[in-house]
Amino acid sequence: MGERILLVDDEVDFLDVVGEFLTDEGYEVTTAQNGRQALDILENKTFDLLLSDINMPEMKGFELLNQAAARFPSMRRALITAYDVRDYLYMAKNHDIGNIITKTTPFNFNEIRVLIRNILTGDVFGLEKYVGGAVERRAIKHAGEIEQAVTDIAQSMTEPDHRRRFRQALGEIVVNAFFYGARQERGDRKDKWEFGGELKPDEEIIVCWAADHEKAGVSVTDQKGRLTKKEILYWLERNTTRGKDGLSTGLLDEHGKGLYIARETIDRFIVNVQRNVRTEVVMLNYKRGLYDGHRPLWIHEL
Amino acid sequence: MHISNVLLVGIDSQPLAKQLERYGYGVLTAPEVDAIINVESPYALMLIDQSLVATFGGDAAERLYFLNNSVPTAVLIHNPLAVDDTLHRIILDGTFEPIYDHEIESGFVCSKIDRIFITSQFNKNLKLHQRTFHEKEMLKKELSLREQILKQERIINTNIIGSVTSGLIIVDNQGAIVLANDHVRQLLGIGDIMGASYSQTLPKEVAEVVDTLKEQASSALPHVIQKCKIGQRFLEVSGFRMLDYQNTPSGTLMMMHDVTDEENASVQLYRAEKLATVGTMLSGIAHELRNPLAIISARAQRGLTGDGADEKRVRKAFESIEGQAQRCASIVNNLLDFTRHTATKAGYHKVAEILDETLTYVDYQNIFDSITVEKRYGADLSIYGDRSRFVQVFLNLITNAAEAMEGRGALSIATSSSGPSHTVVEIHDTGPGISPDIEAKIFDPFFTTKEPGKGTGLGLAIVFKIVQQSAGTLWCDSKPGSTSFFVKLPSVKESSHG
Repeated sequence: MGERILLVDDEVDFLDVVGEFLTDEGYEVTTAQNGRQALDILENKTFDLLLSDINMPEMKGFELLNQAAARFPSMRRALITAYDVRDYLYMAKNHDIGNIITKTTPFNFNEIRVLIRNILTGDVFGLEKYVGGAVERRAIKHAGEIEQAVTDIAQSMTEPDHRRRFRQALGEIVVNAFFYGARQERGDRKDKWEFGGELKPDEEIIVCWAADHEKAGVSVTDQKGRLTKKEILYWLERNTTRGKDGLSTGLLDEHGKGLYIARETIDRFIVNVQRNVRTEVVMLNYKRGLYDGHRPLWIHEL
Repeated sequence: MHISNVLLVGIDSQPLAKQLERYGYGVLTAPEVDAIINVESPYALMLIDQSLVATFGGDAAERLYFLNNSVPTAVLIHNPLAVDDTLHRIILDGTFEPIYDHEIESGFVCSKIDRIFITSQFNKNLKLHQRTFHEKEMLKKELSLREQILKQERIINTNIIGSVTSGLIIVDNQGAIVLANDHVRQLLGIGDIMGASYSQTLPKEVAEVVDTLKEQASSALPHVIQKCKIGQRFLEVSGFRMLDYQNTPSGTLMMMHDVTDEENASVQLYRAEKLATVGTMLSGIAHELRNPLAIISARAQRGLTGDGADEKRVRKAFESIEGQAQRCASIVNNLLDFTRHTATKAGYHKVAEILDETLTYVDYQNIFDSITVEKRYGADLSIYGDRSRFVQVFLNLITNAAEAMEGRGALSIATSSSGPSHTVVEIHDTGPGISPDIEAKIFDPFFTTKEPGKGTGLGLAIVFKIVQQSAGTLWCDSKPGSTSFFVKLPSVKESSHG
């Protein structure tokens, strides 16, 4: 605790209320109203995290983070916006930025608390960081177990809306974890893949799930850590950009749609990667109507 | 009474000379044809020797006529058997009268000369008479031809006046209506107005066209076009100053036609473009509302979770909530103002506020991510007119600028005053510029450089129309890498067009 955060936004009222919150959380908060001012402050003081709004006059958040990264490569960086993150995926990909928090209504203080603590500590793994309540766990070692596991976990949820959404998203992500993550199937076409079969004895896909008073959460973890932020941003951007025909550019891609479908189906889609060690996809879904607004982008690459 | 001279050419005959003198003729002589030209006294008749004519050959008659100014000519024939073909022809067609030797000998030559002389006089008169008669006939024919042409023109004019689908009125300098076709009565819904005073019979708006032309009599403006609303119909009235053959004003000609359909169509086009603008604004507004709403929510939560002892925090929360809620309301009100069909009342507006508001509708868009926006606002400048229309103008120009730069470059928005009564807004981009071959077309309706489906092509045409209706002017200055659109708008309310 006691880490230094530089908070940048042209909304003075926002700086005030969020600055106050983060101070209460134990951080040392400095605020700036535009990119120029922020860069000046950075010259004179070191910070652990630069958290900036995107749409500001003069200098946009991406540009600020870019310039700050060039000067202070070890400082952590994240963006915050009231606008739709999907519109910023192209910029995120180009600037290699995987962390964008959204300003929701109701304002999600709890989410900000968790995401900021994670990004500052680097301690990101574990479903319990995101969801209260008891965490259940299930290991998948054989492709034939995937369907049953997904169905079981989805059915265990109390909210019908959660069941439907997790059934879809979890299916996509577990398949991805099994075939891309653990087995690392190559080849452009899925019909060349060897479906079915077992993972190696020391390999497994771990699925955890839990629920608290406002949401349900599931995490899917492999032991390879092959997924990269670059790849995720590439596939998400392809699927959200529309071509001249009005269809998404990734529509005919053989890969990458699972990520996109899961992210669109579930309220929160968080990816934590420890290179060559593990990949954890955390999916959270709030009870209906809670935290209306846009979905954040949260990819944490250690 | 023989007071005339007779010229004898190549004839040396004492008996002839004596007889002529006795008879009262003067006698002049020339030894040969070429000597005729040296004869100084006038003569009424020429008598030439047969032998001289023969030396001329075929053109004897023409040459002699030329030499003696068409004086009647006789030829003295000594030997009828020696008359050649040429002479024979000349005598036969009456050009030369023949006089024979024996007529001299018998003493009758003078009476013959008398006869020739009188006959030639008669012939001359006859010719004159014939010519006069002929000229009169020609004049008659020409007159009748002209009358026919006039008649034809009159028919054409009547047909034109009758067949034009426009109303046609001519008002003379005294203000009397001297011509009005059926359409005028139909369009204006009035009875016969021929001969009546225009100011008392025509609707006020139509009569104004005559007045305007009169007021501008000294200016070079040849005509005036005015749109008038008569009942539920829209009329376009064009007034032309009529000039007489001395180029002085002789009255006013007015054409009027029904433009209700065009007017309705253009209102619909305007609405369609407005709807497209509403779409852009709506998406901007939805985004714009998220900021204050998030703050309200954050403040309320903070106020609620305070343990009650922290009165300062609760108070701050409420103040913030109140302020942000007002902001939400004004964002929503701006949209409502804009979507009203009827034009809102014109008023004074701070141009910087309108420009800033407009920017909030678009600057969150992807295309603005790598565009720097520079504002150079002059201090305290205002514009007069309909706020929502100004938003539409600036929204179009700013969006065009961003699209021209393809999302990369510098957009600068500058305002300055232009004289005491106008404000100029310049919207500048660093895009590729407008190529000269399309520069003339950019304000045309439906002209677009965007891909099919990407633009209506109405943006700039509507912008142009709005600026015009707001008594402003719009122009553009473009070269590669630097394009500016300038909007000059009145900063004060004007009493008339300017």
